[in-house]
Amino acid sequence: MRLTLERRDSTGMAGLLLSPLLAVALTLASSIVVFWALGQDPWRALNVYFLMPVSDFWGVQEVAVKATPLVLIAVGLALCFRSGNWNIGAEGQFLIGAICGGGIAVWTHGWGGPWVLPLMLVAGMVGGALYGLIPAILKTRLRVNEILVSLMLVYVADLLLDWLVRGPWRDPFGFNMPQTITFAPEATLPILFDGGRMNLGTVITLVVVAVATVVMARTLKGFEIKLVGEAPRAARFAGFDDKRLTLTVFAVSGALAGLAGVMEAAGTVRQLLPGFSPGYGFTAIIVAFLGRLNPVGCLIAGVFIAITFIGGENAQIILRLPRDMTLVFQGMLLFYILACDTLILYRPRLVPRRAPA
Amino acid sequence: MTLTRRNVLAGASALAASSTLPFAARANDPLGVGFVLIGPVGDFGWSTMHDVGRRRMEEVLGDAVTTTQVEAVAPPDFDRVVNTLARAGNRLIFTTSFSYFQPTLRMAEQFPDVMFENATGTSTRDNLAIYNARFYEGRYVQGVIAAMKSQTKQIGYVASFPVPEVIHAINTVMRGAWSVDPEMRIRVVWVNAWFNPGVEADAARALVDQGCDVLCQHTDSPAPLQLADERGIHGFGQASDMTRFAPNAHLTSSINNWGDYYAARAQAMIDGTWEPADTWGGLESGMFELAPFTNMTPEQASTAENVVAGLRDGSIDPFAGPIVNQAGEQVIAEGESLTDDQIRAMNFFYEGIDVSMPG
Repeated sequence: MRLTLERRDSTGMAGLLLSPLLAVALTLASSIVVFWALGQDPWRALNVYFLMPVSDFWGVQEVAVKATPLVLIAVGLALCFRSGNWNIGAEGQFLIGAICGGGIAVWTHGWGGPWVLPLMLVAGMVGGALYGLIPAILKTRLRVNEILVSLMLVYVADLLLDWLVRGPWRDPFGFNMPQTITFAPEATLPILFDGGRMNLGTVITLVVVAVATVVMARTLKGFEIKLVGEAPRAARFAGFDDKRLTLTVFAVSGALAGLAGVMEAAGTVRQLLPGFSPGYGFTAIIVAFLGRLNPVGCLIAGVFIAITFIGGENAQIILRLPRDMTLVFQGMLLFYILACDTLILYRPRLVPRRAPA
Repeated sequence: MTLTRRNVLAGASALAASSTLPFAARANDPLGVGFVLIGPVGDFGWSTMHDVGRRRMEEVLGDAVTTTQVEAVAPPDFDRVVNTLARAGNRLIFTTSFSYFQPTLRMAEQFPDVMFENATGTSTRDNLAIYNARFYEGRYVQGVIAAMKSQTKQIGYVASFPVPEVIHAINTVMRGAWSVDPEMRIRVVWVNAWFNPGVEADAARALVDQGCDVLCQHTDSPAPLQLADERGIHGFGQASDMTRFAPNAHLTSSINNWGDYYAARAQAMIDGTWEPADTWGGLESGMFELAPFTNMTPEQASTAENVVAGLRDGSIDPFAGPIVNQAGEQVIAEGESLTDDQIRAMNFFYEGIDVSMPG
């Protein structure tokens, strides 16, 4: 006997929605076992992980700060992935956005006005979009694999940031540490509530989620994106230009990643330095899939991932659990999502071993 | 251990002790002490040694303290982590990297009732102390040993970032080497990381290929030393005793020892005598020490021991004038010595060091 996977004839919408919920439930169940094995009270541990981060308004704001870049990048990636274009380089577009916007903050430091911030946001979006277009153009013109190009451009962006903050943009009073000056107030996103860190970036992100939802559900462009992704041949017969669409979705997802980058620079970190991103562009890929490539789904998934991240910090502080526990936790979640997705799309079946020929 | 500067401060602050009674009043509860680490606990270097220090503090103070540690905290997450630590009742928080210095200033302002300590920071506030060890004394010893061991008269230096801490270390290695042999030269590769074993090993390989036969490293992983072992040359370990990684190449390591300092500072909090001190302890203070000298003749080892003794009693001053920079300008004259603030801000190489500032 051996085990094979057969594709199911049809998978309902309910199944697609149920799969991530089931994965979360299985992760919770497994983590109870892990907490118990570590000698922790599982209920207290789950409380620290999932409820404490959102137990007061300050905590909710921190979740928003963490979720904002993840959601914004993931929404862009969802459009891309839906149309069958694999942009793995959002991290690079995020960094380029931060560089373009942050560059303006550094350049105008000391003589800028209220026009600085809008200019920074636009520069971040344009920078991210242009950087995202590189793999798209190479794909449409030369049929180069966009996964490889976009991924490798992450390292290019990383090194560019590195060079800038060590060289031309280094803070002259920063003891040679690789970092820029701290941005002036006119180059910083306004904080929404005193005592917290949530800034205008969160509002912008919610607007983007709403717009993306309408575009996907109610416009021809949204239909085109879905059709090209699901049935490229049919889309071509229908007269859609899939090459132009590739350019469009890469530019849009690059622009959103770039916007996330400049908002992180202008809102949360307020300077540029290496190690500026804890891998938001990569984590957003998980968020996009966890959110079923749907803008609202990305919002929910982004908030969930942000909570687990902050919960992991709390667990280090309150339960004195090692950071590795958080990584195990996220690993389990991904594993269960992939497993549930596979089992919802495919049916496992035991088949008799074939007689040797 | 004796930290001269702290003892002086402790004496001075005894007068002010009555004003800090609120902390003494809490003496029955254990003191909450938080640690924010820049890297993972398992880096075998900087962060590992802070963790060792934390555990040493727990050993010394027992039930009087509870400690909490958060690893690998990225700059965007720093504010939240410190906020949560403070809310969880930690009254003393160590932030163990220069990268956290600016953010720590910010948080110290936000939490005036929490005392902060930043490793390798450059200025203090009412509730912010800074601490560091005079690792350059170990660099001087490395220079002396390197000059005795080298056949090619070339030292290779795997450097992290061109910050003053690394610049004055490179200068001091050469000062030590020249005290034995004025012909000694140095080559530097900047790897732009504190911890990146692959890149560190590549840098070490390049240095050996260029003729260096003793390697110094200002990065945290054992990789450069392991490469030295593989290529049959010598090298020095960093942050912890790295003899076991390179039994045939290892000459000595500087071993960071924060534990006694941490214990003393927490005790000062409990006693209500904590002051925003600026502590910069040398070999004499025990804040770092040198691993046993290996792979050298007894004569070489005893020369090195003499240098250590000279540094301890102050008869050897690595920053005594005259000091001349690469441009040939005299920085200070004979008979003078650089001040701590000048050393902390050092941004030039000495004449005779053929290395250019990157960036």
